[in-house]
Amino acid sequence: MNLKLQIIVAVVILLALAGIANMVRRETLDIKFALSWLTVGALVLVLDIFPGIMNYLVHLLGIELPVNMMFFFGFCFTLFLVFILTVKVSRQSEQLKRLTQEVALLEERLMKGESCKKKDE
Amino acid sequence: MKKLVIIPAYNERGGIERTVRDVMACAPDFDYVVVNDCSTDDTLEICRKNNFHVINLPVNLGIGGGVQTGYVYAWRNGYDIAVQFDGDGQHNARYLNAMADKLENERLDMVIGSRYIKKEGFQSSGIRRIGIRYFTSLIKLVTGKKITDPTSGMRMAGRDVIGIYAKNYPKDYPEPESVVTILKAGKQVGELPVQMNAREEGISSISPRKSVYYMIKVSLAIFIEAIRR
Repeated sequence: MNLKLQIIVAVVILLALAGIANMVRRETLDIKFALSWLTVGALVLVLDIFPGIMNYLVHLLGIELPVNMMFFFGFCFTLFLVFILTVKVSRQSEQLKRLTQEVALLEERLMKGESCKKKDE
Repeated sequence: MKKLVIIPAYNERGGIERTVRDVMACAPDFDYVVVNDCSTDDTLEICRKNNFHVINLPVNLGIGGGVQTGYVYAWRNGYDIAVQFDGDGQHNARYLNAMADKLENERLDMVIGSRYIKKEGFQSSGIRRIGIRYFTSLIKLVTGKKITDPTSGMRMAGRDVIGIYAKNYPKDYPEPESVVTILKAGKQVGELPVQMNAREEGISSISPRKSVYYMIKVSLAIFIEAIRR
C-alpha cells in the first residue's frame, strides 16, 4: 500500500466518522447503533495508519495477501451485523404487532363506550 | 356460556355483509366481531354503515395477527368459546352450533371444521389436497394424532386454547402449526365434518409462488413445535 492510497483511505474514513458523529448529534442515528460503526471505522483507520499491524496479522494467520484478510474480516463483520439486524427486526415486528392489537382493542372499547352513551341519552 | 365468532376480514367488501348476516341468523347465541386487517377497500365503511361490531387494526398484520387480535379480545372479555370464521363466504354458519355442542359434549379443547371426513362440498384443488394430506401425515408423525383438515380456517377453541393463542400465535399461514401447538400441550382436538364453499369473493392468500414458501415454512414450524419443551 502506497502513501497516497493510505491518505485517501484515511480521509474517507475520517469523513465517514464525522458523518456518523454528526448524525448522532442531530439524533437521526441512535448512539447505540452508531457505536459498532464508529468502532469499525476507528479500527480500519488504525490499520491504515500502521500497515505493520496488518502485515503481522497476515503472517500470523498464514494468509497470503493482506487484502484477502480485509475481505474475510469485512465479510464476517457484515454477516454478523445483518444477522443481528434480522433478530432486531424480528423482535420489533412482534412488538409492532402487539401495539397494533392493543390500539385496535382500545379503539373498540372506546367506540363501544360511545355507542352506550348515545343509547343512554 | 359466552361464545364469540371471530371474523377476520381483509378486503372482503363483497362478502363481509352476507357473512355477518349469516352468522347472526344461524348462530344467535354467539357474539361476533369482525377484525378488519387494515383493508384497502371499503370493508370498514360497510361494517360501520351496518353497525357491525368491528375491531379495526390500524396497520395490516396479516391473517395470524388479525385472528390473534380476536383471541385476545375473547380472552379479556371472558369468552368460554371462540371460533374463527372466514369473512369471504367459504364457511357456513349453520355448523357453528353443532361445533359448540361437540366441544361441550365431548369435553374437547378445540373443534376443527373438516372438509375431508365426509368429503362433501368444495374440496379444494388437487394439488392443494396433496399438500393438505402431507400436513396430515406430518402432524401424525410428530404428535400421533390424525387431523384430516389441518389447514381449515374454521376452528373453535375452548377457554384454555383461547389463552394459549392470545399469548402466542403464528404470523402467517398459522393453521397447521397452531394445531400442533395445541396437541403438544396435551389438549383434545376433534373434527366435525363440514361443507365449505368455493371462494366467492376475494382471492386466496396462497399464490403458486407463495406455496413453496408455505410448505417449507409450515413444515419447519411443525418440526420446531415438535421439539419444543
